[in-house]
Amino acid sequence: MSGEILGIVLRRIAVAIPLMLLVSILVFVVLRLIPADPVAMSVPPNATNEDIEALRREMGLHLPIMHQYAIWLGHILQGDLGKSIAFGQPVFTLIGQSLPATIELAVFGALFATAIGLPGGILLFRLRGRPSEQVVDVGSTLMMSIPEFLWALFLILVFGVAFNLLPFAGRLPPDMTISKVTGFLLLDCLLTGNLTAFLEAIRHMLLPALALALGTVPLIMRLLRSSLLDVIGEDYVTMARLRGVPERRVINRHALRNALLPTLSLMGVQFGFLFGGTLLVEVIYSYPGLGNLMVEAVRNTDLPIIQGAALVFALAVLTINLVVDVVYIVVNPKLRRAR
Amino acid sequence: MSPVSAVGTASVASEHPLRRALRSGRVAVGGSILLVLLFCAVAAPLIAPYDPNEQDLLNALKGPFWTDTAAPGFLLGTDNLGRDTLSRLIYGTRVALFVAVCAAVGTMLFGTALALLAGYFGGVVDWLISRAVDLWMSFPPVVLSLILIVGFGVGIGNVILAIILVDWTRFCRVVRSEVLVIRRQNYVDAARLSGFSHLRTMLREVLPAAAPLIITLMSLEMGIAVIVEAILSFVGMSVEASIPAWGVMIADARNYMYQSAWGLILPILAIVTTVLAFNLLGDGLRRTFDARLQQH
Amino acid sequence: MSLLALNDVTVTTEAGGRQVDVLRDVSLAVGRGELVGVVGESGAGKSMVGRLIAGMLPKSFAASGGSVTFRDRDLLAMPPRERTGLLGDAIAFVPQHPMTSLNPVLSLGAQFDEHLKRLGQDGKAARRERALAALDSVHLPRPADLLGRFPHQLSGGQCQRALIAMAFAGKPDLIIADEPTTALDVITQARVMELIDELQRDSETGLLFITHDLRLAAGHCQRIAVMYAGEIVETGPAAALLGDPLHPYTRSLVAANPGIDGPVRRLAALPDHMPGLSGFADLPGCRFAPRCPVRDEVCATARSPLTEVAPGRFVRSGGACRQVKTGATEQAALTAVTLDSAADPILSVDGLGKTFRSGRDWLGRRRAPVVAVDGVSLDIAPGEFVGLVGESGSGKSTVARLLLGLETPDDGRIVVDGQDITGPFQRTAKQRIALIQMIFQDPQSALNPRQRIGRLVTQSMEVRRPPASWPERLERARDLLGQTGLPEDTIGRYPVQVSGGQRQRVNIARALCTAPRVLVADEIVSGLDVSVQAQILNLLLDMRARMHISMLFISHDLSVVRYLCNRVAIMNRGRIVEQGPTEEVFRAPQHDYTKALLAAVP
Repeated sequence: MSGEILGIVLRRIAVAIPLMLLVSILVFVVLRLIPADPVAMSVPPNATNEDIEALRREMGLHLPIMHQYAIWLGHILQGDLGKSIAFGQPVFTLIGQSLPATIELAVFGALFATAIGLPGGILLFRLRGRPSEQVVDVGSTLMMSIPEFLWALFLILVFGVAFNLLPFAGRLPPDMTISKVTGFLLLDCLLTGNLTAFLEAIRHMLLPALALALGTVPLIMRLLRSSLLDVIGEDYVTMARLRGVPERRVINRHALRNALLPTLSLMGVQFGFLFGGTLLVEVIYSYPGLGNLMVEAVRNTDLPIIQGAALVFALAVLTINLVVDVVYIVVNPKLRRAR
Repeated sequence: MSPVSAVGTASVASEHPLRRALRSGRVAVGGSILLVLLFCAVAAPLIAPYDPNEQDLLNALKGPFWTDTAAPGFLLGTDNLGRDTLSRLIYGTRVALFVAVCAAVGTMLFGTALALLAGYFGGVVDWLISRAVDLWMSFPPVVLSLILIVGFGVGIGNVILAIILVDWTRFCRVVRSEVLVIRRQNYVDAARLSGFSHLRTMLREVLPAAAPLIITLMSLEMGIAVIVEAILSFVGMSVEASIPAWGVMIADARNYMYQSAWGLILPILAIVTTVLAFNLLGDGLRRTFDARLQQH
Repeated sequence: MSLLALNDVTVTTEAGGRQVDVLRDVSLAVGRGELVGVVGESGAGKSMVGRLIAGMLPKSFAASGGSVTFRDRDLLAMPPRERTGLLGDAIAFVPQHPMTSLNPVLSLGAQFDEHLKRLGQDGKAARRERALAALDSVHLPRPADLLGRFPHQLSGGQCQRALIAMAFAGKPDLIIADEPTTALDVITQARVMELIDELQRDSETGLLFITHDLRLAAGHCQRIAVMYAGEIVETGPAAALLGDPLHPYTRSLVAANPGIDGPVRRLAALPDHMPGLSGFADLPGCRFAPRCPVRDEVCATARSPLTEVAPGRFVRSGGACRQVKTGATEQAALTAVTLDSAADPILSVDGLGKTFRSGRDWLGRRRAPVVAVDGVSLDIAPGEFVGLVGESGSGKSTVARLLLGLETPDDGRIVVDGQDITGPFQRTAKQRIALIQMIFQDPQSALNPRQRIGRLVTQSMEVRRPPASWPERLERARDLLGQTGLPEDTIGRYPVQVSGGQRQRVNIARALCTAPRVLVADEIVSGLDVSVQAQILNLLLDMRARMHISMLFISHDLSVVRYLCNRVAIMNRGRIVEQGPTEEVFRAPQHDYTKALLAAVP
């Protein structure tokens, strides 16, 4: 059994590798379309044509595009994502500094989304056929119409500006610093035994994580509800009732277990989207993560960072999908082979 | 073994689907909001009280008429440069709706065409298209649209193109699985046996069956396009600075939210209302079609 | 005192804005250890009887009169909790679809454990022992291994045996089995019925067997109740009821059923079909009256009670109709078709083979290649009907798809009317369309619901060169509808607006449009009720007589094949194991598989 799962995981990773290569080609090609000349941006204004030509050769821009790509890819594989044009630092270092913050945020967002979405879906299902269903239903359509970046602004207006309950800038109060161990702030707070900072970090995380979650919650709710509605009409549910299994148990043991499977597989896609949602949320909450770094780079047309960040985002999505797939395979006996 | 008789289904089938759709409250509400928005977009120069870019620095950061900081003549207040919020909101519908319609039509055409090919032919065609979808889905949509905009440069046409190139997968995935279901219906085989070409079979037998889903998806896609455009203009990567867009208004107002929260709230409301209208419409259409399908 | 007694039960719902009695004055009794059959066509309300006893009527359905007495207590007056407490324990159920009636994410062991726990068995080990014993009692081999399996790893027959084991595990007083074998293949069906007989014989359990198959019920039950449109029209001892049916409906049911032995006579088909739910309200009197061959004026308004006419035999009849004898005795013997044996075969198939190599599943696991059709050779003479018989998965439908070009064969040759049409569809389309056409199994799926019938049946004219004009098409459509016995006004209707039997006629009409020489019919009557099936079978015979058309008739139903086909080919696992003249094969089967199939016919 576990050997079979390991095999499947390895095969999945094997599929992800060519996909990642294609991703890198896509990123490289699209960003070559750029109207601005990357050379012109990185030379002083008084540079001569010879200087520019020299730099062009140095950057390898005179080579055919596939050749350029091969060089670029070779560098990436050695962990060299180039140097930021704006900051002058290696992109690899910049991303390494900001990624842990984003991962923390996304994980909390996903946890919130699950914690709110699944019970919400069951609630929606329980209300089926009642007058209040319509109200909740329109409510969920309204929630679906609010993307996470508007939630982010909205939560700031309510909890930050109007009631001043929670902070909404950065990861810690400005006067507080935590020595870096792993880069994951919450972990570092615990490792250094700084409980005050830990609580502060949580407080700072609440609003952005909630904003991320709220963008995903209605989708999870609706999917679980409709899966439950599908499942409740299945023969095995009727049969369980005909065996005298109490209704509560019919729902919790027989219906929910089956309905969670399609919900789970959708959550993989949704968490990928959620990870992308950190982009705007981080900008709005001045959160020093990968998204903020990338948006800053986009504004500066800082190509090496854009490329690097895009690759990391894609890698993250593929990883999330892989994890969700593996969980799906483990919990779904239907995928086990007939013996 | 359903005891429902053929008589009951006959009346449902004979009623025009559009009329049924209009009877749904969601479709009516969503449609009405959209009509109002459409009117605002078309008649913007006639109904907007000011030029959206006209600055009145003496009357900067005023609140709407019901607040203490209201200024006469500016119904919904002004922004930090003293530009009239109402006028900018009205002009903002132009960008939002234009992008919504064009992008949705584009994604629909592109995504549906590929979905039809993949679902109908299966095999290698399906494999290739599905792998392309996988590739595209490896990027969070926001990230991909940002990369594309960096590649193409700003401007409304490029925004639309970027949305199409990002969101065709949404259509393609959903429509493809629908086409796979339709393909298994015997009437598709029967059409082939009657001598229909592949193209004719696809257009006459498969596409009409997927049409309700496609229309529903299009409505939802318009809402998504509005959001993506707002995101891009929020980070300053959408339309030129001289064109008023809701996302730009949000970005501007964010820096002054302590002085004038309404400057932030109003464009947010505009976006949410528009997206809600598209979602209500899509939701209502889906329910109407689903009811029809269940009756069958 | 009976174990279970329904006394004048009426179940009411609302349909088309009117109150409708879904069940009307239903009275039925099951004694301890008795096996009682409830027989009816779909929509007759027989499943409603089961749901009523379970207390699981659909929303908006309610019992409005009568009583359901079980062990001397009225179930209808019992508190819901107590009633639920009976389920699975005192009253157990065997479902129609075994494959989907077990929870796919729980192992068989877990489901047994849950059930036995509910029955009050303490101790996990003790429950396991009981589960093993229960599986053993239904003759499932290696029960310990089975308990660890999930439903998708079992066959339909194994699932049904496991479900039957569960039903009998609590030693219930009553078991309700609703079409327990309909979803299974013929041979499995026979074995499962044997099992039910055996278990029931050894116990005190009363069994209510709900089925559409009169012959099957007669073969296993002590008593039978026949239902029509929500009413019981006749009950009595099984043998007497089948041998001497009294109610006109029962008589026509018997007469519409092709037999597996005895002389082949033309089936007496009832006109029209049973009304739908909302139609019940228009039938205040005898609900069978509109279709009854011997009705008189009073039938439409007068209701008659179920009266005892002989010991144990009850008929709902005013008296007049049960005196008049129609049916079996008056059925004309079918004249054998004379075939020109010297003529070249119109369809000749030689060494047809097809293997599906379907790559990988979504986990990337390689699937084993499936040999669907293996060296099939077959000839059909002009005007000949050949039956192709096999169980599900035998490859018979693949043969049809290969003949029509919907799949391309790996080996072999297909020749129709002297023209080789073996190649891929694109290259052979022109010849195929004119020579060979297909009637699909399920008209619901085969007719595009968005197109009117007139357009559907003349579909092939749409791409004709030169293009056909609309009046031409209408003309042809009228012609085709006439040939298939459809009223002319169906031309402008949508498929959902006509009945199931009419839809199948439309399906046949479309196949006839290009005037092909050969028709391939894939299980075209398996979804139909007996009375409608008889209509379609007779239509096919008339078509043969009139048009001298040839047909490959694919079916799992041996009696239908015997009725229709001159020759028969028996298919198993992709191969034809035996073929020959129908009567010969049925009288003296050579291959073991054919023998098993024939033995399994009820």
